[in-house]
Amino acid sequence: MTMAGPELAHQLTPLAVLLPLGVAFLLLALSHWLPPRTADVTALVIALGLMVLCGWLGAESWHGPIVHWFGGWTPPVSGKPDVMLGIAFSVDPASAAVAAFCALLFAGSFVFAWGYFDKVHAHFHVLMLLFLAAMIGFCLTRDVFNLFVWFELMGIAAFALTAYPLGKSSLEGAFNFTIANALGSFLMLAGVGLLYARTGTLDFVTMGRIIASLPPDPVIAGGFCLVATALLTKAAIVPFNMWLSDAHAVAPSPVSVIFSGVMVSLGLFGLLKLVAIVFAGDPRVMMLVHIGLFWLGVATAVVGGLMAWAQRHLKRLLAFSTISHLGVMLIAVASVSAIGTEGFLVYLVGHGLVKGALFMIAGVLLARFNSVDEIELYGEGRSIWPAGIAMGVAGLLLGGLPWGLLHDATDSVHAGSHGLAGVVAIVAGTALTGAAVLRATARIFLRWSGVPGVERVAPTEREREKGDRPLWLMLLPCAVMLAIALLPADLAESFVHRAATGLVARAIPHAGGGTQAAAITFALTILIPAASLLRHRPTRRLARVAAHVETAPFYGLHVLHSGRVTDYVVWMMVGLAVLAGWLKFG
Amino acid sequence: MNVLAWCVAAWLLGVGIYGIVTSRHYVHLIGCMTVCQSATYVLLLGIGFRWGAGPPIFYDHPPGTPAVDPVMQALVLTDIVVGAAMTALLLAIALQVHKRRGTLDPQHLRPLRPRE
Repeated sequence: MTMAGPELAHQLTPLAVLLPLGVAFLLLALSHWLPPRTADVTALVIALGLMVLCGWLGAESWHGPIVHWFGGWTPPVSGKPDVMLGIAFSVDPASAAVAAFCALLFAGSFVFAWGYFDKVHAHFHVLMLLFLAAMIGFCLTRDVFNLFVWFELMGIAAFALTAYPLGKSSLEGAFNFTIANALGSFLMLAGVGLLYARTGTLDFVTMGRIIASLPPDPVIAGGFCLVATALLTKAAIVPFNMWLSDAHAVAPSPVSVIFSGVMVSLGLFGLLKLVAIVFAGDPRVMMLVHIGLFWLGVATAVVGGLMAWAQRHLKRLLAFSTISHLGVMLIAVASVSAIGTEGFLVYLVGHGLVKGALFMIAGVLLARFNSVDEIELYGEGRSIWPAGIAMGVAGLLLGGLPWGLLHDATDSVHAGSHGLAGVVAIVAGTALTGAAVLRATARIFLRWSGVPGVERVAPTEREREKGDRPLWLMLLPCAVMLAIALLPADLAESFVHRAATGLVARAIPHAGGGTQAAAITFALTILIPAASLLRHRPTRRLARVAAHVETAPFYGLHVLHSGRVTDYVVWMMVGLAVLAGWLKFG
Repeated sequence: MNVLAWCVAAWLLGVGIYGIVTSRHYVHLIGCMTVCQSATYVLLLGIGFRWGAGPPIFYDHPPGTPAVDPVMQALVLTDIVVGAAMTALLLAIALQVHKRRGTLDPQHLRPLRPRE
């Protein structure tokens, strides 16, 4: 018997999470008997298979979402239309595309990590497959509690993967990461409880309908605050961002590829879905999103950019650059418009590809030189010049090279964000992070270096990653990802438009000036590292004063990022209070 | 009753956070995390509670008997499992940190340090 496409897609939807979970279980059970490399091959095949599956589901959902109710609990249950007992997955083009992108990045990471984790049986692959299953579930679910469960599973897998190397720093980074995110998830559960208390359902769509019909309610606003705090913590938005630079800097590089590439941006994707489907009918919450979250995005883009510029440990630099780019993405999300959502979706993919590639290059440096410190590695990279070319291209892409996915996405974000603050933040964040990567590239691969400025006092450490892997195998996924990132977004224009309007249909007038902003950004991306690389030791009095004034704010930022988890929790509570205070008095 | 449950939940969350923020020992900090988690349990059970209703088990009751909301209990049960996994992982990390650094005071631990 042959089934029509949509019917088959409907039947196969659960496979998107059952497959990785089942294979992870089998790998764990059989890990001691399997021949070496079986886990590598299996994990890679599963990741590629899931990419195809999710892509196909996305294509099938073109004319309307595919909704799968688990266990046959399709409403109405026993003839009562208001009773919702089941849990559903809902596949729309945007969610399926993001899920497929997660799988693509995992495939890249599995190739990059080929032979890296020989000594630990299949445990790395088991955790990674759990991680992937959690991400896909997070994308596809339409049940608030189910969203929380995938969020937790994603967290647990990530915590264990960070602590994996059992080094001093990775353990402490993993501890900070776990505490911040676990606290976030408790708040999320409390928020889910509050939302259920008022609406009596956990289903996105039904909850959205009920919230739109209720008068403004402090319990629902409180529920939003708590859930948003959790998702913004995952997405590392200022002031919830402190854990990220610790965790991403110390996790094994194949894991950091996933962390920075998709895990954090998924937090914003979840937030966007909740805002668009559940809270669209609550004017107070929408005000908070439009104005409050916009300003958080602005702050995040600028702080992340400044901190990225002030680092010398490449992975920590990239971690702060991720924070900055998440700020840009939050600006796109906060517009809650079709054009902003288009920008966000393309940005998520473009940023994930470029950042994943950069973490792979950091991994190559670690494997070869046991360090990712740009000052220590001065000129060392010449023997592996292909990695230098890749890093240069990635740095240019990150800094707004007028070509490729990120550039087109930034244009859409500009078009969706009105007001000067957004433009300035996007320009500053993009230029500073691109400049930081280019400065590091020039030092490591070209032997160009001025006197180090603010980055000299940044935290750093030597570490070790398994070094006997072939260079071409590590650079292959990196090159493929950069090649995809260099494609113009126009190729998928109709798909992106369909995917974005499927989530957020609200059309807004487009803001102009994106072209000038892009030109200024790229000019700054080139000029800032050029100025830094020509810098001389400040000997004259005036130069010394100027250098002092320049470094002072960076010292302040360094002090705030103290590395102490107790401080991080204080900042999270400050953030929660800001959100709640805005809702109450704003 | 309901107001009491909400107040208890808020109090537990408050003292838990205070404990985390002022903690000088990882294990103490992990204990405070579980206090925060208990706050969510109390909140959820308070939300699902109904006066005069029995447990949501209809084995020896006719269907239609008033019962407390089983959904909230399912949420709590799920979260207890996740919480146990998280606590175990955190304690394992704390043990390894102690082996390597010889201290568990959050004030003296930070992942990457500036060069002296």
